[in-house]
Amino acid sequence: MDIISQLQEQVNLIANLALNTVGTLQRDAPPNRLSPNYPEPPPHPTEDGANFSEEPKLMGASLVKAAKQFDLLVASLPISETGEEAQLKRIAELQAENDAVGQELQKQLEAAEKELNQVQELYRQATDNCLNLKKPDVN
Amino acid sequence: MATATYPPPPPYYRLYKDYVQDPESAPEPPPPIEGTYICFGGSYTTSDVLPSLEEQGVRQLYSKGPNIDFKKELRSLNGELQLHILELADILIERPSQYARRVEEISTVFKNLHHLLNSLRPHQARATLIHILELQIERRKQAVEDINRRREEARRILNESLATLDGH
Repeated sequence: MDIISQLQEQVNLIANLALNTVGTLQRDAPPNRLSPNYPEPPPHPTEDGANFSEEPKLMGASLVKAAKQFDLLVASLPISETGEEAQLKRIAELQAENDAVGQELQKQLEAAEKELNQVQELYRQATDNCLNLKKPDVN
Repeated sequence: MATATYPPPPPYYRLYKDYVQDPESAPEPPPPIEGTYICFGGSYTTSDVLPSLEEQGVRQLYSKGPNIDFKKELRSLNGELQLHILELADILIERPSQYARRVEEISTVFKNLHHLLNSLRPHQARATLIHILELQIERRKQAVEDINRRREEARRILNESLATLDGH
């Protein structure tokens, strides 16, 4: 896949990761203490455990990894600061050179075909002479 | 159950009755359309230019100007994105009701990112064209050289055979 499509895919990946991160944390977060008057909310028995405190770390790590991957892809962009006009100029130059080389090719091709025809004509004459000179074998 | 039949093909075929005998008697094909046109009730335009961000109502975060340094802008936008995500996480902890503005800022950053990448496409198209032209020039030069070599070889063989026949 070309580099720009890869960059676009990477942006979409970062968006998905951010979405999943915030959504998962919001869904699974344990209830928070509202005010010092009320007691601590009872810990939910089924959730939590060892998984919960590590999920933010893992998801944060994958977000940062995706962002670093994006930076890497940006660094490998083959863009030089040429700008549009320089590119158009180069295209015009290349087109002119292409036309010149094309005409040269055409000329060479015609000359070669002419020579080919000449050689074929010579062969024809040679074989005709051979056939005329050759005496038929009697047995 | 009533079903509608397909509409019949347009009746222009009658104009081409004598095309085989006289190709000039039939009408010319229609010229290419310019500007905007209507197709199946929707209007389209023939110029496929990427609309700028202001036209879509999105704030533009990267610097405008004739020549944009794409790599620098993309990297800075990436950093801003990470920052905004962190801000969102922070504000969800402290003041959860104010998430909307942060989310909107994150979506603006994403739209800017995609717009930048889309504006790289014409550059890529021109670079591909340059590459194709270079390859074609290379192939043509190779072909010219091949033809020259073969002609030289053919001439050499003819001269040799001439020398052999004369010596015979």
